[in-house]
Formats: sequence, structure tokens, C-alpha cells
Amino acid sequence: MTDLDQRLATLPLTRRVFLQGSSMAGVAAFLAACGGGSSPSPTGQASVSPSEGATAEPTEMAIEGPLNFANWPAYIDLNEDETASPTLDDFEATYGIEVNYQEEIEANEDFFATIAPQLGAGLDSGWDIIVLTDYMAARVVRAGWVEEIDAAATPTAHANVRDELRGLDWDPDMKFHFPWQSGATGVGYNVVSTGRDLTTVEDLFDPAFKGKATLLSGYPDTFSLVGLMLRAKGQIANVPAEMTFEDAQAVHDYLKPFVDDGHIRAFTGNEYLQDFGSGDTWVAFVWSGDLASSGGPDDRFVFPEEGSIIWTDNMLIPKGAQHKAAAEAMIDFVYDVANAARLAAWIYYISPVKGAGEEIAKTDPELAANELLFPPAEIAAKMYPQMALADEDDIAWADLAADLEGA
Amino acid sequence: MSLLRSRRAIPYLLMAPGLLWLLLFFVIPNVQMLVFSLSEGTLRTGFTTPPDVWDIDNYTGSISRFSDNFSNSIVYGGLATILCFLIGYPLAYAIAFKGGRWKNLLLFLVIAPFFTSFLIRTISWKIILGNDGPALAVARDFLHLVPANFSIIGTPLAVVGGLTYQFLPFMVLPLYVSIEKVDRRLIEAAQDLYAGPWRRGGLVAGAIFGAFALVALQVGLGYGAFVGEDAAPAAVVAAGLIGAVGGGLVGAFLISQSFIRVTFPLSLPGVFAASILTFIPAIGDYVNPQLLGSPKTQMVGNVIQGRFLDQNDYPIAAALAFLLMAGILIAIFLYARLLGTEELTGGTA
Repeated sequence: MTDLDQRLATLPLTRRVFLQGSSMAGVAAFLAACGGGSSPSPTGQASVSPSEGATAEPTEMAIEGPLNFANWPAYIDLNEDETASPTLDDFEATYGIEVNYQEEIEANEDFFATIAPQLGAGLDSGWDIIVLTDYMAARVVRAGWVEEIDAAATPTAHANVRDELRGLDWDPDMKFHFPWQSGATGVGYNVVSTGRDLTTVEDLFDPAFKGKATLLSGYPDTFSLVGLMLRAKGQIANVPAEMTFEDAQAVHDYLKPFVDDGHIRAFTGNEYLQDFGSGDTWVAFVWSGDLASSGGPDDRFVFPEEGSIIWTDNMLIPKGAQHKAAAEAMIDFVYDVANAARLAAWIYYISPVKGAGEEIAKTDPELAANELLFPPAEIAAKMYPQMALADEDDIAWADLAADLEGA
Repeated sequence: MSLLRSRRAIPYLLMAPGLLWLLLFFVIPNVQMLVFSLSEGTLRTGFTTPPDVWDIDNYTGSISRFSDNFSNSIVYGGLATILCFLIGYPLAYAIAFKGGRWKNLLLFLVIAPFFTSFLIRTISWKIILGNDGPALAVARDFLHLVPANFSIIGTPLAVVGGLTYQFLPFMVLPLYVSIEKVDRRLIEAAQDLYAGPWRRGGLVAGAIFGAFALVALQVGLGYGAFVGEDAAPAAVVAAGLIGAVGGGLVGAFLISQSFIRVTFPLSLPGVFAASILTFIPAIGDYVNPQLLGSPKTQMVGNVIQGRFLDQNDYPIAAALAFLLMAGILIAIFLYARLLGTEELTGGTA
């Protein structure tokens, strides 16, 4: 599938700039289009209006492609020479739909900002599936910016999603989202550079690592983890989901001197993978599976003693998506137990699919004991969800984070 | 009669496409931005626009809140311009006067980096200055000058270096054009009139300029948090002395009176154009601080980018953009006054 290789390797050639609509929406969409968020090229059925797409009967014959799929880096299985994805290849072979898979999402806030102007103006974002973390997915669903996922087209997904992921207050009946993977936020480090094993969040602030430490941009991961550290030190009382603005202020005040003296070199999204590769980063807040699947042999992930952050990234179909039926087919496809097991075994995250663990255990018992895929009870007991803030609070917290990030 | 009238219309017809273009893509977007800059709210919460609200606080609040970013922009943009000038003027002079048959090739080499994307060039600097790169391989692994956790990435040095590299061609090309235009017969005439080496004047002027440039560089780069150390008074004095000695030597031995009295004054329009062409993009840049800097080295461009594209906070972003624009206009006005506009625009033509 050299065809697919090229699609994986190259960015889309065209970008959509919407200048219709009200002047403000026009400017907003234009800004977003300028902002480096390249939208996929609309090579599919561009004449199909969103409402028609939404009501089309998803029979196998009616499924139109290509499927424009925006996901995070290191989040899809790759073959031996890392040129193609077996899962995507199989999907293409099964349904005859091209998949335009782009590793476009480095951080929730940044990606949200690239699609919000179009969605807010009632326009197609250009994507058929996007993957957002709980708090951001909830915000998009509450805003009504998603298509309802047809239950008749996704029977496997409805049957196989793990019970603890059902019944969320923002989408109790899985009408708008299906989890892609769950994972943890903890501390990543290069054991050769640090010269020792790290066990806590506080280890990241060791003076020996000055200038070689990075945190995650935005507040949900960074403020949660530092909050857990301050909680362990007795400086704040609340777990991340219950943190108050005063707690956030305390986290900010703790971090500020480390930013000022250059101890923390950057606030990153998924690009910490490159910085670990070059040795510019020795320790960082990272997401659990990335270093195992895409890092070097000396890169380690640790669930910190103070606790770690558990989250789920969710597949959503943005409002007005042009290839909704294809998106539903993909959602159903990755909930097949065998497909889910193959995916989880490569990317080292926690699969949302019932039975994927047993499937992995059948072929690879060692992997089935991996704590990244199947966190043991003592680690799971110290996993905390992120805060889910209302819009006004979100702006105030984001401002605190922006002050640390220097912009 | 009608022929005469149509002739009068010709200049307007010739200008019409340009004016229309400016109206559509400069005036109208700027009016829109001005409206944004006085509004309240974000994309998510919705905007309240004038005339319902006139939020001047977007401007006043931004200046105080983002004063660090403004000073970063001015200092880094200014330093990059000075460095570009110090590197670019001798280069342009050499190409124009000594280039000979290599002139076209040399000019091509100056522009050659532009054939690669701006982003790729900055990312290659990230690799060159990075942990595995040649710069640290020499300074850290071979000479053992710096500790193991020293990094160049994240320092003002990296940002200013990146800016200097990116905008050097903007400096060299206008300088080349104006130096190339200098009438050689005037230089010969000066030499006939006993214009020799600059010696004493060159020593003094070179020492002053050299000291100023190196102190500016030292203070500018040490300014803010440098990983490891801050600018110390002793270092500033040392930089001043080194700059004075170096500048004095260059002034006394390399610069002739015919250069200082003929070539340089005649190339001033090029200096003016080149420094503006370098300073304006450098001060508004956000790619270099983003990729090569740290949270302490973010410039105004980063705030504008972040507010527009990450936080969808258009009012603050628009206000900052206008403040930056106003700042640049004031700076250019003062600069033009300093160099004397009449001579720059009309005088030499």
C-alpha cells in the first residue's frame, strides 16, 4: 500500500478557507485556516450537504470516502518498517474506503482552536473523525458541534465498550462519542541522561535537570499532576477534579520560579517525543504509552508516587462531517476485539474494548502483564481524573497557564 | 479634448488595481481588527462589539500584562538587526566592490536559503543548537566548557541567532543595491584628494561603536533568565572592552576615509531600507521564539498567535497587533528623523 504510505507521510495539498457567512465568522475561519491547522482536502462527495449526510442510510454500498481522520501522534499501529498501518490497511480492504489519516492533534486546545471557528459558524470542519480528551470532548458535545452516531451502524462498538466508560454525564448513552483509548499522564525520563530512576513528580524539579525539563501545555495535565504533588506535600487539600481556583493559583505560584530560572524549558504537546529523541529533554510530563511505543530504549514512563492522571480520548464526528457513514464504519471496526487488541498491543495505551486484554493474553502473555496496558490495582487506586471546568473557570485557568507559558 | 481627459485618467487607472487590492486586503481587515480590539469576549463565549462596548482596557491592560513580551520583541528584534548589519554590510560591500565575475553566484548564495521553507530552516537550527548538535558537541563534549545539562535551545542567544539568520538576506540585498550604485569615480576623486586610511578617527569611532554593539549584545542576551547565569557587571565591562578594542582595530586599519566620506553616506538609503526590512519582520516573529526559545523568551508575536489561535481571544490579540503596529510606526518615524528623510528619499535620486 504505497498509496497509503504517501498519505500518511504527506500533508494535504489544499486547505479550505471559508469566507462566506457573517463577517465575523468569515474572519474567524480565515484565521483558523492561517493557523497551521491544515484541513483535509474535500475530495469526497463535496456536494452532499451535512443534513443529507446525517440521514443517509449507512448500508455498505452507500459508504463514501475518503475518511478524514484526525488523531494524535503515536496513536495508530504501524507495520514492521513503520510505513503503513495494518489496522488502516485492513479497514480500507474491508470497506473499500480510503482513509486520510493525519496526526494532526498535538494538544486539545490548539486543535480545538483550529476547528472551533468553522463549527461555530455552522460549517464543515473538514474532518470526519476527531479524537479529543474527556473535558474537551464534553465541551464540544455540549456545544452541539457533533453528529449523532447511528446505533444501527455501530453494533460492535455498543456491545464491546467497557462498562466503566459508559454512562458519562455528558453523553450517557454513547450517542455522540466512543472512546479511542484511555491513558495516564505521568513522568517520563531518559534513564541514561538522568542517571537514576525517578519515582515522583517532585523528582522533575531536581536542580540537576535544570533546562532539561518540560511540562505539558494547557492546565488539565500539568496543573493536575503538580496539584497531586502539592497535595502529597500537604499544601493543597483537593484531588484534581475538585481543585479550586486558589489551588490552581498555588500550582502557578509553585511553578513560576522554575519557569523564571529556566528549569522548565518549555511547555509542549506531543512534540516532547522529538525532544526526548534529541536529548534536549531529560524529564517531562508525558502520556503513558508514547515513550513505550515511539521513544528510545532508555526512555521510561513512571506512574508517580503522588498519583497519576487518568483520561480517555474520544472519537467524535464533527457536525457537518462529509463522510459520516465511513466514520461510523471506522468506529465499529476498531471495536472489533481482534482489531482492538492489535491496536493496543502497538500503542501501549489502555483499550476501551471489552475482551481486548484476554485477546492479547492469548498471544503475548508478557504484554498482558504490562502496567501501561493494564495498570495494577495499587496504581489504579492512585489514578485521578482531570478537572472539568465551566467556560468562565476554564478561561481563568487557561490564563494562569498562559502566564506560565510566557504568552 | 477627450484625449487629454483620458490621459489625465491614466494614472488613476494604473493605480486602481493596487488601491483596490489594498482596500480589500488591508483596509477592510484592519477595520475588522480594530473593531475586535475594542470588543469583549472570546470565540466560545461570543463577542460584544462596538458600539455596545468600547473596551479600551484591551490596550492598557495588554501593555502592562505583556510588557515582558514587548521588551523581548524590541530587544531581540533590535539585536538581530544590529547583528545583521554587522554581518551584512561587509558582505554586501565585498560582493558589490570585489565580487567580480562571482557577483551573481554570491548573490544567489545569499538568497539560496529562501528556497527552503522558513519553518524547516528554523527546525534545522533547533537541531544545530540542540543537545545532539555540533555546537554543543564542541563546547560541551570536546572543550568541557559547559555542564552536561547546559542547553543553547531556550536561551535568548538561540532566538537572536535564529532571527539574525532568517533575516540576513533582507539586510544584504538592499545594501548591495545601494552600494553597487555608488559612483566609483567619486571614490577615485576622494583618493586623489588625499583620502587615506582613517587611522585616528577610525580608532575612536570604531572603539565607540564596537563597545556599544558588544555591550548591547551582552546585556540583551543576558537579559531575562539565561539558563545558568544572568548578565553580570563584570561581563558587561569585559564585553565593552573587547568591543572597543576590536572596533578600534577595524576602524584604524580596515576603514578608509574615502569609505567613511563617500561610500557609506551614499549607501545610507540602503541602510535605512535594509534595517527596516529586517527589523519589522524580526520584531513580529513568533516562529523563532516558539521553536528555539523558552517561556521566558516569548515575543509579542507569540502572544498574538496564542491569543488568536489557541485561546480564541480575538480582542486581546487584535489590540496587541495594533500596539505592535503603532510601536513599529513610531520607531520608523524616529529612525527616519535620525537619518534625515529628505536625503534618504528625494535627495539622492
